[in-house]
Amino acid sequence: MNQNARFDCELHRSLAATIEAVEDFFVEFHERSQAMKERINCFEAELLIREALTNAVLHGCGEDPRKQVGCSLRLRGKRLLIAVADAGEGFDWRAARAKSADTLGCSGRGLEILYRYADQVRFSDKGNLVTMIKDFDRGKLS
Amino acid sequence: MTLVTREDNKAVVQPSGDTIVAATIPELRLKMRDIVGEGVRDLVIDLSGIRMVDSSGIGLLIATYNSMRKLGGQLAVVNASNELLELFRSMRMHQHFSVTGN
Repeated sequence: MNQNARFDCELHRSLAATIEAVEDFFVEFHERSQAMKERINCFEAELLIREALTNAVLHGCGEDPRKQVGCSLRLRGKRLLIAVADAGEGFDWRAARAKSADTLGCSGRGLEILYRYADQVRFSDKGNLVTMIKDFDRGKLS
Repeated sequence: MTLVTREDNKAVVQPSGDTIVAATIPELRLKMRDIVGEGVRDLVIDLSGIRMVDSSGIGLLIATYNSMRKLGGQLAVVNASNELLELFRSMRMHQHFSVTGN
C-alpha cells in the first residue's frame, strides 16, 4: 500500500468484474498486508474485502468483464477503511438486511458476514457502493 | 487436486489449495456431487490446509449437508482453524453438523 499523510497505507485498484481478477487482487493484498500483520487481523480484513468484491463482481456486474469494480483500502493505525464500488444497478440493501438468513439456505450470508465482522457498514442509496470500517483495536467479535 | 480417501460408504475429502471461495468452489462442488452420488453416507471434510472460506464456500458446505441429510447420511467438518471455527459458529453451522478445530 502507498504511504499518505492522512493514512499510514493506501491501496486503490480498479478490477475487471471477474472472479479471476478478485484472486489477482488478493495476491497483491497478501504481499502488501505482510507488513501490517501486527496491526490488522489479515483473515478478518480479507473476509470483509472478499465478500464485498465478490458481491460486486457476481451480483453488481453479473461477471461482465467489460465492467469495472473499484476497491479502496485505507489504513490508519489499526483502523481499516474499505470501499468497494461497482457500475451495476445496485440492490435494495435495506430489504436484504431485514431478511433473516435461513440457516440451511445455500446463499445470502455475504451481507451477514459484513455486518458481523465490520464495525460500521454503509451502503450508498442505490446500493452499488459499500464502505466499511474495521477497527482492529476493538478486539474480537461479540 | 482435491484428495478423497474412501472406505466403504465413508469418505474423507481434503480440498485442494488453501481457500474455499467463489473462485475455487466449482471444482469442489463437482467433487462433492460425485461423492454423494457414489453412495457415500458418512462424509468428512478435512480443512487442515484451508485458511479462508467465504460465504460461497459456506453455501457449498451447507448444500453438501442438505444432500447428505436427504439421503440419511452425515457430514462432519474437521481441522478448521480457529478463525474458521469462529466464522462457522457465527453462521450457526454447528447447529446442523459437527464442526471441529485442529
